[in-house]
Amino acid sequence: MKLRSCLFLALISLALATVPAETARRPRYGGVLRVEIGAVVSSLDPAAPAENSREAAAKEQMYALIYDRRTLDGPFSGVSGSGPFQIAEWEPGKHATLTANDGAPSGRPFVDSIRIQMGRPARDIVLDLELGKTDLSEIPPEQGRRAADLGVRVSVSQADELLALVFPAGRLATEDARVREALAAAIDRASIVNFILQKNGEAAGGLLPQWSSGTAFLFSTAADAGRAKELFAQIAGAPKLVLGYDSGDPLEQSVAERIVVNAREAGISVAAQAIPGAGAAAATRSALDVRLMRLRMSSPRPRRALMNFLTALGPLAGIDASLLPDPASPQEIYDRERAIVGSYRVAPLVWLPQVYGLSGRVRNWKAPGPGETWPLADVWLDVTPEAEGEKDKL
Amino acid sequence: MTFRSKLFWVFTLALLLSVALIAAGVMVVTQRAFEGLNQQHSDALVAQFQREFERRGQDIVHRVQGIADAEPTVRMAIDLSRPRSDVSIYVNDGRGVSRAHQLDILDFVANDGSIISSAEWPARFGYKLSWVTQPEDWAARGSFLTKVETPEGPTLALMSVSTVRVGDNNLYVAGGQRLGKEFLASLVLPAGMRALLYLNLDPSYQPANLLDANGPANDAERFAPILEREQKQPGEQTAKINWTSDPASAEIFHALPLLGRKKELLGVLLVGNSQREVAILENRIIWLALAVVGIGLVFGLLLSWWGTARVTRPVRKLAEGAREVAAGNWHAHVDVPGGGEIGQLGRAFNQMTQQMSEQRERLVQSERVAAWREVARRLAHELKNPLFPLQTTVENLQRAKEQNPEQFEEVFRESTGILLSEIQNLKTITERFSDFSKMPQPELASVNLNEVVRSTVKLFEAQFGAVGRPPITPELHLEEDLPAIQADQALLHRALENLILNAMDAMPAGGVLMLRTTHGNGDVHLEISDTGTGLTPEECDRLFTPYYTTKQHGTGLGLAIVQSVVSDHGGRISVESETGVGTAFHIDLPGQPTAPPRAQNFQIVLEKEKSKEGS
Repeated sequence: MKLRSCLFLALISLALATVPAETARRPRYGGVLRVEIGAVVSSLDPAAPAENSREAAAKEQMYALIYDRRTLDGPFSGVSGSGPFQIAEWEPGKHATLTANDGAPSGRPFVDSIRIQMGRPARDIVLDLELGKTDLSEIPPEQGRRAADLGVRVSVSQADELLALVFPAGRLATEDARVREALAAAIDRASIVNFILQKNGEAAGGLLPQWSSGTAFLFSTAADAGRAKELFAQIAGAPKLVLGYDSGDPLEQSVAERIVVNAREAGISVAAQAIPGAGAAAATRSALDVRLMRLRMSSPRPRRALMNFLTALGPLAGIDASLLPDPASPQEIYDRERAIVGSYRVAPLVWLPQVYGLSGRVRNWKAPGPGETWPLADVWLDVTPEAEGEKDKL
Repeated sequence: MTFRSKLFWVFTLALLLSVALIAAGVMVVTQRAFEGLNQQHSDALVAQFQREFERRGQDIVHRVQGIADAEPTVRMAIDLSRPRSDVSIYVNDGRGVSRAHQLDILDFVANDGSIISSAEWPARFGYKLSWVTQPEDWAARGSFLTKVETPEGPTLALMSVSTVRVGDNNLYVAGGQRLGKEFLASLVLPAGMRALLYLNLDPSYQPANLLDANGPANDAERFAPILEREQKQPGEQTAKINWTSDPASAEIFHALPLLGRKKELLGVLLVGNSQREVAILENRIIWLALAVVGIGLVFGLLLSWWGTARVTRPVRKLAEGAREVAAGNWHAHVDVPGGGEIGQLGRAFNQMTQQMSEQRERLVQSERVAAWREVARRLAHELKNPLFPLQTTVENLQRAKEQNPEQFEEVFRESTGILLSEIQNLKTITERFSDFSKMPQPELASVNLNEVVRSTVKLFEAQFGAVGRPPITPELHLEEDLPAIQADQALLHRALENLILNAMDAMPAGGVLMLRTTHGNGDVHLEISDTGTGLTPEECDRLFTPYYTTKQHGTGLGLAIVQSVVSDHGGRISVESETGVGTAFHIDLPGQPTAPPRAQNFQIVLEKEKSKEGS
């Protein structure tokens, strides 16, 4: 063999050795995917209502695994087990085991089964990820930075969940738009993003993110405590506002407490009050002047996402929820957005991404976008020693 | 009230007064002792609080210093000293570190005073905590009390500040513990004591800021006076609160002001001392004292009764002896042993009665001799008058027989007539004496004294106006509604006759005889007065003595009979007289006589004119 041939072979070998292992390996079947979620799912019956938004979201993810398709209006339907996985074990509120469906219409999933542990606290999830006791978990956005610092593989989606203040209609204390505007102006959104969310998020001025509408930059996100003081001083008999937040959501609690501090510095009296449950129904039931709510985009398309928001908030906040033309122009979408934001019935605060923690052996994971579910049928597990030891390298 | 009763009550009052004084003294001493005990308890608890305060302060200083000295804090300080450092990664550090070091309050503060991380109020990051960056030697300051902002509102905390210096930048670590119910619960209190803490967070008193070991104190409004005084002028004070009308519910509170770095009043510690145990103890003492007093009183009363009886027994004997003497028993003798004043008095009494008895015996003896002499003189006088004619007549008979026998028969007839007459006189004299010695006892019947007076005066009407003697004018002033009395009419008649005869004898030149009857106090009064020659005081003194007379031919028994009759009716007779003016006899007779022994009827009241009393 000539020296040239030897050098060529050597270069080829070196190139093969330096190619990332993931790309070098083929997908493989088998293995148990360990998933931990914070929500508690009490029932998989589609007719059984979810107790809170977290349970509803978790049920959606499970339905996507065990049902083949959705109905036209959104929910999954068909026969349980017609999807890529079938329920093998089910202990309500604690854990579930799903096994791969060999006859799934979209083909057999790579993993043999998925073991889902429910009701895990965020702190424990991060710890389990760090210790390699779980393969995939959703992490609260404010914990993403800490998890990454601890060496956990973190996957972050686009910011597709809006955290906003919603002023329920009919409340005497907030009927004056100046009260709502003053509170909206008093909030330091940048501090919420930087400190509370640990920079996993974006300050929100509009109802749609910049990556979706392209017009979000037209909405101001800057705090103006002076303006807030001026407005609030104009109001006779300055009201004391009650701000409600989901008692089961630490992020909402932190943001609510920060809003109280911001408002206090602006001379606005706000008391934070934890309420059980979430969503518009809970806000309606409680005698709250303002409610902190998380609104997840149902679609990356701006019109559909905005309409979903308006449908959800319209009855509560008394805002214009009429249909936009389909298709709607960016100007029409912006005008509606501007009108709603200008009414100060909804005060957008921050956009939150979905943050996931992965073990080193999870392959082919892609953070789901708005309206998408977890692509667990496409995930496969790398059981090579390198993959097992990837965590240590990280 | 007897002497014994007086003495008994004096003893009893003295005993009561003594017991009351002792009881009051015991109560005062007990009260002061309890107050001293309360003060000691309060002082002990205040001292304990101050020690605990200092101990905790030292503990906090060490913990905060430990945090400041820890490597993560030093790294934070180094990181913050870099330009464009990302402080957001430290925003949650405060909570974790505070938990690890058991601090309620922990703030990491940057050089410019902005909060990097706050344990007590995590959402307050980025805002200023300006007092931390003020020039102060925090190491020398140690622990201090300050007001801290929390989401629930301001509160008090025992704080300490440490600094980590990197280059020209300081990282301040301000940590501490809340001063609240947990702190109060950690104090070890003796039974019956409690501690309250007032957080002076508002300009005026706010009841909600008063805490006990369980949270907001009950009935906090009752503490307003003492705490408002503290707010006006901080200083140690004591106040008593009566929760109900029951004294046992009272509590004494000792207020200790808690001052901040600038000597401002931040809180007040109230140390309460329940008076329940004291009240119970006082009640027990009072009841015990009352029982002792009661027993003592009963015992004292019995002792007083016995003592007074023993002390007054000689006096009672003396009194009985005096009564016996007053009753006429001149031989009364008292037996009073002992050598004290009472014994001397008893012996003196016995000596006195003995001497009086002897003197009375001598007096009676001498009076008896004098009376017999008077009787002998009177008898001699009375008998001598008829005896002299008898002797003369018998001598005339003898002489006539010898010298004139022819006339003897005539002389004999005359002489025998004289002899019979004089013998009759002698017989009359002896009958009078016999009558006096045989005065009958009165037979009582309802008698109208006016009728007796009228009938008696009527007997003498002829003699008042008899020819050959100056006239006597009787004047009767008789009270018409004079009540009847129980008396012997015949004896009264006889007595009245004697008095009228005496009055007639006293008025040889005539005059006025006045008889007056009156009544009052159940007695009737008879006054018989004349305008005769009157009597001398010496005559008045002896007027009622038997056989004493001022007349030439009187027997001296008339007024003695009058006095005997009056005495037998339980009455009294007295005489007043003035020489040359007249004499008046006053007789008082009871409506219902109580016959006294005749031995006592010698009382004669002599009322003499003032002029003669003076002489």
